[in-house]
Amino acid sequence: MNDSKSRPIPEEPMIRLHNLEKSFGKNKVLKGINLEVARSEVLVLIGPSGSGKSTLLRCVNNLETPTGGEVTVDGERVNRTDLSARAFQKHINRVRTHMGMVFQHFNLFPHKTVLENILEAPTQVLDRNAAELTVEAMLLLDKVGLAEKRDSYPAQLSGGQQQRVAIARALAMRPSVMLFDEVTSALDPELVGEVLRVMEDLAAEGMTMIVVTHEMGFAERVADRVVFMAQGQIVEEGVPKEIFSNPREERTKRFLADVLK
Amino acid sequence: MLDWQIMTHYFPFLLKGALITLEISVISLVLGLLAGLLAALWILSTNPLLHWSGRFYVWIVRSTPLLVQLFIIYFGLPQFGINLNPFWSGVLALALNTGAYNAETIRGGILAVPKGQREAARSLGMSKALTMRRIILPQAMGLIIPPLGNNFVILIKDTSLVSTITLVELTLTAQRLIGSTYKPFEMYLMAAVLYAILTTGASLLLRQVERRTVWGHA
Repeated sequence: MNDSKSRPIPEEPMIRLHNLEKSFGKNKVLKGINLEVARSEVLVLIGPSGSGKSTLLRCVNNLETPTGGEVTVDGERVNRTDLSARAFQKHINRVRTHMGMVFQHFNLFPHKTVLENILEAPTQVLDRNAAELTVEAMLLLDKVGLAEKRDSYPAQLSGGQQQRVAIARALAMRPSVMLFDEVTSALDPELVGEVLRVMEDLAAEGMTMIVVTHEMGFAERVADRVVFMAQGQIVEEGVPKEIFSNPREERTKRFLADVLK
Repeated sequence: MLDWQIMTHYFPFLLKGALITLEISVISLVLGLLAGLLAALWILSTNPLLHWSGRFYVWIVRSTPLLVQLFIIYFGLPQFGINLNPFWSGVLALALNTGAYNAETIRGGILAVPKGQREAARSLGMSKALTMRRIILPQAMGLIIPPLGNNFVILIKDTSLVSTITLVELTLTAQRLIGSTYKPFEMYLMAAVLYAILTTGASLLLRQVERRTVWGHA
């Protein structure tokens, strides 16, 4: 899978974090992160809990507003500070339509059916034909293997099924970037595989992805690059093989020893 | 013993009073719901002016008696050239009063929707307003309706205070009939039964609405 991606990387990175900082009160969660993600690259973020990897991910689409630094996606500055509150809301809503996010607890809309969940944002936010969107939504559901669940409510689905719907829902916006925030952590072990498979397919199609996960097997198989974070900083990064079989930093070694034993 | 003959004879008069009570209740209920929703959204707003206006409204209403609020509107406002008849004075006082309690109920319901729902909607590019209208409020409904029903029941009972500003609703009808029949027990008993029917009817109706806000267990 990694071989299929050895195409030349374009100049402009898809995601660029420059000196990214985030504090909650006095607590510095991100201490100046510099990171670039190339088009079609799959970047996997690993690290102990509290290392700031989820916060980093949430800063990319501004669910958390950075307290310093720059976030740029597809050449556009995300965390603009030159706008009025109202203008910034307009800006961020538009920017977010290009980024899909999948959450640990799925966050499907419980009062809407599977199909309605997928159609909600595209029909309400994008100026696109409803019939055409429905066709597209069904193709996405088919892709995640849940076409027959179109009229079910989230409460009637297993966790794995819900998470696959959540991925389809994010894809329905035709994002150029997908952000995955520990998407298998809340799942029963036997349901993890079905979700990872969908993500693997997506990676193979050339989607740009940042994946925060504890699934080291997935990281090894699918990641183009693995970044290890601890205490709000990037400790080490490299291709999976390098990180997993020959980590340079002591902290990386300790972390891997803990999760892989 | 109960004087059944008097009761059957005067029941239609009380029924007519009950209809006025129903009318003022329904109008106040709808307006109070709108006031409550508006105040709840104001209080939750990040705009400090809206936030504090909402907070002030809820505070002033909840810390003063409804009877005094009613008197200020009916007896006090004419001093400023605002003359409302007893019916609309009653509606205004009741709607503003129940609105403040509804605001707290609705605000609580909105805050109880898991924050992941808001994040999911916002991450898809939905605006704050769209997220509130399409995602948060429909879910908050399920949590809001039971306590809101409680507010409705209180509202229906509170309409009896409007009898003090000469609106001939159920309570004042009963009082007047006592003046001519000298049968306070019978008249107030019938009024009580009619109030119970109105409040129970409201509760049952709301339970039907509540049932429709449960998803995925059909």
